[in-house]
Amino acid sequence: MADMLISYITLAMILFSLGMLGVVSRKNIFVVYMSIELMLNAVNLIFISLGRYYESMTPQVISMLIIAVAAAEAAVFLSMIVVLYRKKKSLDADLFTSLSQKDAL
Amino acid sequence: MIDIVFLILSFMAIAGGIGMISFAQPMYSAMSLIVTIVALAGVFAILSAPFMFMVQIIIYAGAIITLLLFIIMLLNIKDEALPKEPNKKITIVLGGILLLPLNYLIIKNFYLLPSKPMGILNSNFGNIKLFGDELFKNWLVPFELISLLLLAALVGAVVYARKEKSDG
Repeated sequence: MADMLISYITLAMILFSLGMLGVVSRKNIFVVYMSIELMLNAVNLIFISLGRYYESMTPQVISMLIIAVAAAEAAVFLSMIVVLYRKKKSLDADLFTSLSQKDAL
Repeated sequence: MIDIVFLILSFMAIAGGIGMISFAQPMYSAMSLIVTIVALAGVFAILSAPFMFMVQIIIYAGAIITLLLFIIMLLNIKDEALPKEPNKKITIVLGGILLLPLNYLIIKNFYLLPSKPMGILNSNFGNIKLFGDELFKNWLVPFELISLLLLAALVGAVVYARKEKSDG
């Protein structure tokens, strides 16, 4: 089982689906952020398993760059959450409509 | 033997993911995400990627999730600040059913690839020297751009989190 590409792809797709379900079905902004991280991890798993399949180092480099982008995203996203929580006193993603056009009209 | 390890790790990863999207408290969700990330680090080690195993544990579990836990504890979230999600279970189940065709399509297409043994390689595939060769020979420009991106994110985070003067 551990020597077949398809089992890694299946695991990665299950994790990606869980992350997507978290993004579309939860309102808690922290859970939305963590679901995005889970999807990035699933993509990393696909990259690394394909790198093992083709015996190439390039996918490992790409997934390290993905992790660096995720770290940058974490810093900006979390400070945005802090500012939004200070303003709205809630974690509900539906309340964060400062940039929505409906509010401006 | 390696099959059992892989099964245990994937079970841990999936259980952590399910826990993450179903807990109401963000603290429990973050703990479940740590389980998933450490299990995925083990899967990376099975795939002969020891450097990615280290990066996953040090940067993901050690830096990103710790920052997340730190922010969650710092905000000191009360129960009434959590959003009400009365039909969470229905949307998760419906969304899971809607995502099945996508999963079927992708897994079927990967199934068409010729099968090849994927055991742990005995050669030095995946060690840090080959990784550095690849990174600094073919991926130097993206690497430098990543450093710029991290600098921009650092400045952006400081600008966001600063208290505005109009707030008093």
